[in-house]
Amino acid sequence: MPRDATDTDDMNLAVNMGGLPMKNPVTVASGTFGYGQEYNQYFDITRLGAVTTKSLSLKVRAGNKPPRLVETPAGLLNAIGLQNVGIETYLSEKAPFLRKQGATIIGNIYGHSPDEYVELASRLEQESAADAIEANLSCPNVHDAKTASGAVLVSQDPDAIIEYTKAIRSATTLPLFIKLSPNVADIQEPALAVQEGGADGVCLINTLLGMSINPKTRRPRLSNIVGGLSGPAIRPVAVKMVWDAARVLSIPIIGTGGICTANDAIEFLLAGATAVSVGSMTFRQPDAPMQVLDGIKTYLKQHRIERVEELIGAMEV
Amino acid sequence: MTGGPGARFLSDCEVLANDEVAPEQWRMRLRAPSIAAEAKPGQFCMMLTNPTQYPFLRRPMCFEQIFDQEVTILYKVEGEGTALMAGTPPGQRIQVQGPLGIGFDTDDDAFARHIIVAGGIGVASFPSLAKALTARGVIPEVIIAARHAHLILCEDFFRELGCEVHVATDDGSLGEQAFACDVLTRLKPDSDTRVYACGPMIMMKTTSDAAIAAGANCVVSLEAQMACGDGACLGCVVESTEEAEGEAMVRVCVDGPVFDTTRIDWAAHNLAYAP
Ligand SMILES: Cc1cc2nc3c(=O)[nH]c(=O)nc-3n(C[C@H](O)[C@H](O)[C@H](O)COP(=O)(O)OP(=O)(O)OC[C@H]3O[C@@H](n4cnc5c(N)ncnc54)[C@H](O)[C@@H]3O)c2cc1C
Ligand SMILES: Cc1cc2nc3c(=O)[nH]c(=O)nc-3n(C[C@H](O)[C@H](O)[C@H](O)COP(=O)(O)O)c2cc1C
Ligand code: FES
Repeated sequence: MPRDATDTDDMNLAVNMGGLPMKNPVTVASGTFGYGQEYNQYFDITRLGAVTTKSLSLKVRAGNKPPRLVETPAGLLNAIGLQNVGIETYLSEKAPFLRKQGATIIGNIYGHSPDEYVELASRLEQESAADAIEANLSCPNVHDAKTASGAVLVSQDPDAIIEYTKAIRSATTLPLFIKLSPNVADIQEPALAVQEGGADGVCLINTLLGMSINPKTRRPRLSNIVGGLSGPAIRPVAVKMVWDAARVLSIPIIGTGGICTANDAIEFLLAGATAVSVGSMTFRQPDAPMQVLDGIKTYLKQHRIERVEELIGAMEV
Repeated sequence: MTGGPGARFLSDCEVLANDEVAPEQWRMRLRAPSIAAEAKPGQFCMMLTNPTQYPFLRRPMCFEQIFDQEVTILYKVEGEGTALMAGTPPGQRIQVQGPLGIGFDTDDDAFARHIIVAGGIGVASFPSLAKALTARGVIPEVIIAARHAHLILCEDFFRELGCEVHVATDDGSLGEQAFACDVLTRLKPDSDTRVYACGPMIMMKTTSDAAIAAGANCVVSLEAQMACGDGACLGCVVESTEEAEGEAMVRVCVDGPVFDTTRIDWAAHNLAYAP
């Protein structure tokens, strides 16, 4: 399929992601696409249903000490520690580029308290630097988010999820998605908490905690010791979590985790996701999100499906 | 696909030749017209080693030589990814993304003397640099150091360019028995000298210490585990000497791989984590 194929053929690729109109269901996973500009030379990023930014915090963050990456079977462990330029630099240097291109923007945010998330969401809305907010309550690589119950991640404590979600909800009229961690016994609990808190969607999944030790040196391969696992290795886990959550939620889901091909993306749609994000695969194939999008179109043609929305939750058992 | 200045390409390149030049060390010749047209000494590419998804990530490889339509990659078989590269026959196509990163400054005429210090497969960074320097009449001196004799590569290449070459091995199996940094010190670099180092991190640190102690300027071409190669994942960072929080880390893939050594916080860098 030619790279500049128009996305307006006879079939309808549009989805409504919790109030965010997306011209197709394909976005990119936070932290795997920088701020968009990095990839614009490999394909026209405005062809994406949305560009999701790296997690933004109030202040610039240096992140964890290196080494931060280790390759593992069919994936990688990372412990970046949310290094990012900070909201102000995003607003002055990164968002203008995305706006000029005409990209739909999902602004991913990370804070240390409900107040910080509120401020981040408000800034993004005031400066019209995002079309939707994705609050990352689930980064496994930072140790500074504290909840009353002592859970490591806000995302592991349903009461905290409700508290954070309500706070952010009250601060923004933009579509609000909450990104959850798979490191829980039952994903339905945090997913329902997101819905109760008043968000418009859930993003599933962030990375799975993991670690790797070098037998030669007897040292952990990451300076942070533990990291987050991503890539095709985690796809079956992610598909099941989307399926679990979709059965109890009335709000839509962005499915993420090891999506490499259009078939992988369609798996997520069939399991109940409304949109999908391509993450680590972009490290292997910089134009992977476009290949996924083009492949979805081919699939719809081959299966004579007019609207991509017909696939959502359409697994047959 | 182009992208203005610093254009980078994602191309399927034909493997023209792929030969074992010494035990476990290979040279791959690729037809890569768009990449070759833009590539500068010290820049690198990301190579997809397999059509399956294992290993998942691509491998960073610098350009050994840059020709009109072609580039060569000189590589050592370390693990699964490079073993797959070695198994790629001529005629096959391989996805290559590049040229990436900031390479060597070959036009700077602030220094009268230029000394290249190569450790092991790190020598792969230097044939293109030596050619660019000699093309403008600057003949670098070259130190090639490695563990054993069979790991000493490119000696003839540098000699044919007219360079004075010093070979050293850890075990004395070829050249003198010495470390690269000691050979460098003996060559008495001074404030009019630029030293270029590439090799294992520990070798670059000791070489850089020796250069700085002698008052020389020193640039290093660093290595790091990479995922994207393009500045997006923030996985390849090393600690820098900058104070500001936003500049505490530099990305090897886009801020480097070639850095002035004074930008790197060697004291903070934990060498024990080397792959
Ligand atoms: C900018 C740059 C340029 C390079 N140029 C060359 C070159 O010209 N020739 C050459 O032989 N090697 C070069 N290397 C090192 C080369 O990338 C690694 O040797 C190679 O990735 C090893 O892969 P493997 O699958 O064989 O080894 P494995 O041990 O199986 O690798 C496991 C993982 O560790 C990573 N890794 C292992 N060793 C290194 C290393 N030294 N540096 C970075 N990542 C590593 C691999 O990419 C992989 O993800 C370069 C590295 C960088 C960062
Ligand atoms: C290097 C790297 C950095 C990431 N950074 C972030 C981040 O800043 N915020 C976030 O919400 N998720 C982050 N993630 C998680 C991804 O967005 C995604 O949820 C996860 O990687 C699973 O998808 P994948 O398997 O397709 O990569 C990061 C993942 C990787 C690999
Ligand atoms: S390898 Fe991704 S930022 Fe350098």
